[in-house]
Formats: sequence, C-alpha cells, structure tokens
Amino acid sequence: MKISFLLHNAYGIGGTISTTFNLAQALAERHEVEIVSVLRHRARPNLALDPKVALRPLVDLRHEKEHPLHLRPARVFPAAEYRHHQYSELTDQRIGECLAATDADVVIGTRPGLNVHLALQAPEHVVRIGQEHLSLDNHPPRLRAALRRAYRRLDALTTVTQADATAYRRRMRLPGVRVEALPNSVPDPVLPAADGTAKVVVAAGRLGPVKRYDLLIEAFALVAAEHPDWRLRIYGKGDEHARLQEIIQRLGLCEHVFLMGAAAPMEAEWVKGSIGVAASDFEAFGMTIVEAMRCGLPVVSTDCPYGPGEIIEDGVDGRLVPVGDRDALGAALLDLVRDDERRRRMGRTAMENARRFAPVPVVERAERLIDEALTLRRAGRRVAPDPGRIRNLLVSQAFAARDTAHAAASQALHTVRRGRR
Amino acid sequence: MTTETGASRDTRLRADCTIDPDGRIAFALRPPAAVDFRSSRMLLRLRPKKGQPEKVVHVLDLEPADDGSLRAVLEPQPQLAEGRWDVYVLAEPRESGDPGDSTDSGDSIESIESIESGDPGDSGDTGGLGDPGARRQRIRPGLRDLRVLVDGQSRDRPSPVAVRVPYATKDGYLAVRAWLRTAHAEVEGVEVTDRSMTVRARLHGATLADGATVRLRLRGGDGVVRTLEPRAASDGRAFSFTVDYGELAAGHGTGSRVWDLSVQPRPAAGAPPVRIGRLLDDVADRKEIFVYPQAAVGGVTVRPYYTVDNDLSVEVTAVRP
Repeated sequence: MKISFLLHNAYGIGGTISTTFNLAQALAERHEVEIVSVLRHRARPNLALDPKVALRPLVDLRHEKEHPLHLRPARVFPAAEYRHHQYSELTDQRIGECLAATDADVVIGTRPGLNVHLALQAPEHVVRIGQEHLSLDNHPPRLRAALRRAYRRLDALTTVTQADATAYRRRMRLPGVRVEALPNSVPDPVLPAADGTAKVVVAAGRLGPVKRYDLLIEAFALVAAEHPDWRLRIYGKGDEHARLQEIIQRLGLCEHVFLMGAAAPMEAEWVKGSIGVAASDFEAFGMTIVEAMRCGLPVVSTDCPYGPGEIIEDGVDGRLVPVGDRDALGAALLDLVRDDERRRRMGRTAMENARRFAPVPVVERAERLIDEALTLRRAGRRVAPDPGRIRNLLVSQAFAARDTAHAAASQALHTVRRGRR
Repeated sequence: MTTETGASRDTRLRADCTIDPDGRIAFALRPPAAVDFRSSRMLLRLRPKKGQPEKVVHVLDLEPADDGSLRAVLEPQPQLAEGRWDVYVLAEPRESGDPGDSTDSGDSIESIESIESGDPGDSGDTGGLGDPGARRQRIRPGLRDLRVLVDGQSRDRPSPVAVRVPYATKDGYLAVRAWLRTAHAEVEGVEVTDRSMTVRARLHGATLADGATVRLRLRGGDGVVRTLEPRAASDGRAFSFTVDYGELAAGHGTGSRVWDLSVQPRPAAGAPPVRIGRLLDDVADRKEIFVYPQAAVGGVTVRPYYTVDNDLSVEVTAVRP
C-alpha cells in the first residue's frame, strides 16, 4: 500500500515533524511511504529522514516567495488556522493538484488546515486520515467551527491523547469518522539506561512560559535546601532564558540550577540524570516525559491537560502533582531524592511502562487503523454504528451552537474594531 | 525545540562516543549506506591558531564491528595537548548503491578536504598521511555518552592533570576538548554576595604548603598581582578564599579589566602558579551555563565568570565609561 503524509514543512524543527518522520520511517518497513512538504525553505531537512521515505516539496520558498499567487491569502486553508498567514492561493492550488493526482491509497494530514484540504480535496477512493497534534480545547471557536464542517469527510481522526479523542467525540458531530488516540512514538534508546545514582534532575523543552520553568526552579530550591549536592539541569532555549537566569540568581541557586542550552538528541543527557521533571501548565502530549522514562528515569510532572496523566502512573513510574503548585512539585522531587531504592525501582518501572510508546506498538496501532479505514472505504461504507450516538448528537449540537455563536461574536467584534481604525 | 528524538538513520557521517573514567574514548562510526569506508582511519588534529599550520595530529585505526559500525579507541596515553581536537575520517570513499534513489544523495559526502602534500603535518607522527589523494572528512556527533564525567570532581587526580570532553562544535561537528596541566585547582563552589565572592576549590596534582597564596593577576597589566591568603584544609587539597570587591574597585579607573585567578601552592620563588578553573565534569563550554550575578561596588560592577577555557576570572567594569 502507498501512504502519503501531508506535512506543513518537513525542513524545519519541531515535535510534529519528528513524530511524523518516526511514523513514516516505521511504516516504510512494509509500505511505500512519501512525505509531501507543503513548504520548503532549505536544501535538506534539519532532522534526518530515512532515504526509504520519499520527500516531495510543493512550494519552494527559496524561489517562489514572491510568486504572485503566493502573495494572495489562502482560501481553502481555513483562515482561523494558526498558520494561515504562511499559506496562499499558491499553496491552495498546489495542495489541490497534489491530492487530485495522488496515487496513494491513504493520505494522512498532520495539522488542522491540511486535514481540511484532505477532507475537501482528496479523490473518492483515497482513505483520509487527519492527525491532530494540538488539542480541541485550545483551538479558537472559529477554527473549531471550520473543522466541524470539514472533518465529517474524513475516514479517521487521530489525537495524541485519549482525553483529546474524548473531547472530539463529545464536542464535534463527526458521524462515521473514527476518532482514536494515537500517541507519539519515541525511538528505542541506544545507550544503557540511567542507573539512578547521579544526583541530577533533568528537564527539557523550549524555554517558553507554558513550561513553567520558573515554578520548577522555585520548587528545586526546596530540594537544594535539604540536599545541596543535587543539581537541576534544564535543556532548551527560548525567550524565557534571561528571566529564568534572574530567578536562579535571586534564589542563590547558581551552583544548583543550570540552563544548559539546546541539546539534540537528548538521550545522552537524560542518562546523566536520575529523575526527569516537567512543570508545564499544558502539554498536548509530553514527548520529553516519554523520552526520559524510556531512558530509565522516573518523571515528576504536573497533572496538566492532556498528556502527562496518560503517560505517568502516579506513584508507580513517576509522580503527578497539581498544576502550578510549587510546594507539591518540590515535595514530590524530594520524595525521590531522599529514597534511593524507590527512585531506582520507579525508574526501572518507567522504562518498562514506556515501551508502549515505542515505534513498533504505535505503528501497529496506526496500521490497524489504516487497514480498517481502507476496508470500510473500499466497501463503500464508512459508518460504524455507534451506540451512544443520540446522546452524543445532542451534546455535540450544543457545543456546535456555542462555537458558532463565539465565532460570530468574535467576527463581529473584529469587524467593529476594523471599522474604528 | 531541543528534544527532538530524531531519526536513527541518516545520510551524514556520524560517530557515537563513550568516555570512561580514565579518559579513554571509544568511537563508533556509523557510515552511511552509500559510502564504503572499509579501509579507513580516524584522525584527530589539534586545531591550530588562525593562520598557523596544523602541527599535531593523532591517527587511530578503525575496526569493523559486528553491528556494521567502525570502532576506534583513543587510549588515555599519549595525553592530548591542551586545546580543541577536530575529528575526521581518512578514507577513500567509494560511492556504491544506486545513484538517484534520493534527490539529496549528492549531499552525503560533505566537506571532504584534500590533504595538501608538503603540509607541515606530514611528519612521522602523521602515519603516512602524505599519500597523494588521501582525503579526510569531518564527522558529525552522534550520541556522546559522558555520564561518568558528571561527578568527575569527586576523584583526586595525579599530576599531570589530563581532561578530555567530547563535544559538538558551534558548526555542528564532533571534536574533543583537552586540558593538560601539571596541576589544577578545581572550583567546587562560588558564593557571591553584594560585596565579595567566596571560592571553594580543590587542588589536583599538587598539595598546598604553608605560605600558599591565591593570586589575582591583572590581564594585560604588566605583572600587576594581588595576593590573598587561602584557608587550607588539613588534607592539603581543599582550600577556600574570599575576594573583597571593594579592594578590586579601589583605584579601578575607567573601562573594564579582568583579573585571572590562580593559586601558588608553596612560597618557593619560581614555583609556577596553578590556574583556578572548572574542568572536571562533562561541560565543555561553561561560560554561558555557569553564570554568577554581578555586584555594584563603589562605582564599578564586579562579576566572576568562566573564560572560554573554563578558567575562573573576575571582570571589573566602571559604571561610567
């Protein structure tokens, strides 16, 4: 079977790109796989891609930035999508042509706007699978309204968490569309796992406000006060760097907390630690948590929407603490710092439990989903009877009405504001 | 984003490496499928100063391993001279595999340089690199397993103190930083207040005698040196000292000055001072990671920092230029 991924820009860096590469490469073991990259801005991808996966760009920004059609706003790609400003009549046209001419059996979209293209423009015989790497609750009402209309024409929609899949089933009326969680996969570690002896706590991710590294540093002050030989290493770069450095200095933690800069791959850095930590207010999935666990680290995380609670089993392979609670975060870290045996035991369990996010089981789930969608489409029947349908119908209609009202209100406000300028 | 768990296979020449507590580095080169490196060696060369010829190189044999990688081991001896060592593969790359299977296949060999004949590096220690046509290619870093270095401060080192840290260069290649010093004073902690800093350090490769002094030497200052008396522990290794910022501020004048810190373990005239720095862990470039607050004292700001060579210095800057 031939599987085609539709990706925003395969030449950049980001979670969606790496997880798409991982899935495409794993599928390429048994199938013909290509990645269609809507945009291209450099000669070769930043992240390494197995040559078994074909890569095909549609718009090359190195030559086509000033193309007359690229200067006109996109009409198929929804205006409410986060990346609408990067799309144009040219991308509309190229994506449309690419889908019309595709020889793939299955096309997989990887972000809301591309899922809309797929839903509206893929030929009848092609299986259409949309992937959501963000979350429904965080989408603005106008985008939700646009997706509600288009997503009905998909065969399947995957989210990265069960919680988000539940939100789609409950809030969107998508008859006949199979909605299923397909977590991100993390490749098998190459290095021996951490042995739990290093007195180092490790965190990783862009230094942005949502990661709450400020809270983490304050929580670690509690650890350093009781166990001054422990260190916290934070990997990543971003706008918060200067502010976080100030907090470190203000709390007198210059010899305890370090902003290490970016590291890729992280594997060799995780194994220098004994505990992983995440203090985020929000994580659509929580890739770094899985990475740390696969390297043998128990992870202390906030129980934020949506990922961490579906990855960590509290008290077994890590700890979950309330969002934004410095003292709870510090206390959970201290529990693991104080108890060497418990920390090592939880680390070993974390490694076992995180195997469900290895490429093999995740790809098996993806293949099962693809096969079933293909069978249904070839039989000319997409709709699987759903026992909870009537109740869901009523609930989702209520949500739809609310999103429409929100969208209309914000549109009106927008119009009024524009009128005042 | 920093947490990419990238694809495992790629088209660039990459090497993983693992270091053990003795400084032995095992390299595992993963050759791209399209390139045959069967008869090849690994080359480390001490990066020369700008405009200077390359003088010191170190060649290792690459042995094929069962997993398809090529292995080389850099033994603790001979010790590497202090500096940055770039890592290359020396080979006769033969293109195999079908051309045209990927639009990017032409990029799989990068930055191949010819070794010019007549290069001063072609002396006996180069292992016959003067072969006409010998080519070398820089290597990208794979996984660098440096975990044994993390608590490197906990082991006392004999003289000379030799340190190696494999790292990724700014332009993304594999290199090894090496330090080689007769003796070394390792900073174990710096405590900064509004008016002073207190340094805890430990001497490796030497012991402190009565009359030892800590020296602050003004960089470019024609031998201007301030001295302090350290507080030494009974083991002759651990010591600490406090630098009063007011004393550095007094008579500072304008502009910015740097004081380099060292310890003279015994009073004997002519005994070389031992630079105080921080070398004994896995951090190859410390300057931007270990950052201390600055203090304002008497018209100047004072800030301890680690130099590009991971040595400890103090910068004093006049508030008004």
